[in-house]
Amino acid sequence: MAARPKTLKQARATYNTNWELAWWVFMRISGFLLIFLVFAHIFFNNIQINVASVNYAYVAKELSKAWVKVYESFLLGLAMLHGTNGLRYSIEDYFRRPGTRFWLKAVLFTLAGLLFVIGVMALWAFSYQQMSTAINAASHGG
Amino acid sequence: MYRGREGQWAFALHRITGVALALYLLLHVFDVGLVMYGPNGPFNAFLAFYHQWPFRIGLILVMAAVIYHGLNGLRIIVMDFTSWGIRYQRGMWYGVLVLTTAIGIPILIKVVPEILAGKA
Repeated sequence: MAARPKTLKQARATYNTNWELAWWVFMRISGFLLIFLVFAHIFFNNIQINVASVNYAYVAKELSKAWVKVYESFLLGLAMLHGTNGLRYSIEDYFRRPGTRFWLKAVLFTLAGLLFVIGVMALWAFSYQQMSTAINAASHGG
Repeated sequence: MYRGREGQWAFALHRITGVALALYLLLHVFDVGLVMYGPNGPFNAFLAFYHQWPFRIGLILVMAAVIYHGLNGLRIIVMDFTSWGIRYQRGMWYGVLVLTTAIGIPILIKVVPEILAGKA
């Protein structure tokens, strides 16, 4: 076993490669899983039904099923990581100036993090059944 | 400009579809996330806006990108993890294009009439 790095510089030289290797493996594993997750997601929401019929009622009905929430959570997590890392690869390939790279990545990670939180909230923090029932009751004077 | 052979085009298309899909994903999570504002929130208005025909054509492009990116990703996995993958990468790329078309045509047959018909 190699000696442990003793300085930040050594640690960077040692761990950068492992980190990148981990991402490299992750892109392949998540990519493989996403093929099934995304194809089925598109089939059920875009092909099996006319996507123009998708509205609040449809999404609320879907999101009141536990398995849909779990399914969409896996999709959200894997797709956000896979997509964000892919965009990071692209930024690092096409932007050479360190400052530009830093800011582009800072914006990307902030945006992706925020949207991940929005996604998790939309999936788990609300009871769509209750919301629909409450609104229907109010609008029908019940 | 350097013009590579099939592998270069496979990479370029994988890159373009990947960046496009990642940006679409961010938008998609944002607009479907609006569902949390409830039935009287902005969700229905947003989706109605996206159901106009230019965006429906955009969705066809998104689906085409997904199919290509997914199948070419399988090709990359085969190239990386088998001993024979690289030898057949060119043939596999044409296979990816044929399969993308083969999956795409039934989707077009289902979706294009819906767009031409207008409202759901």
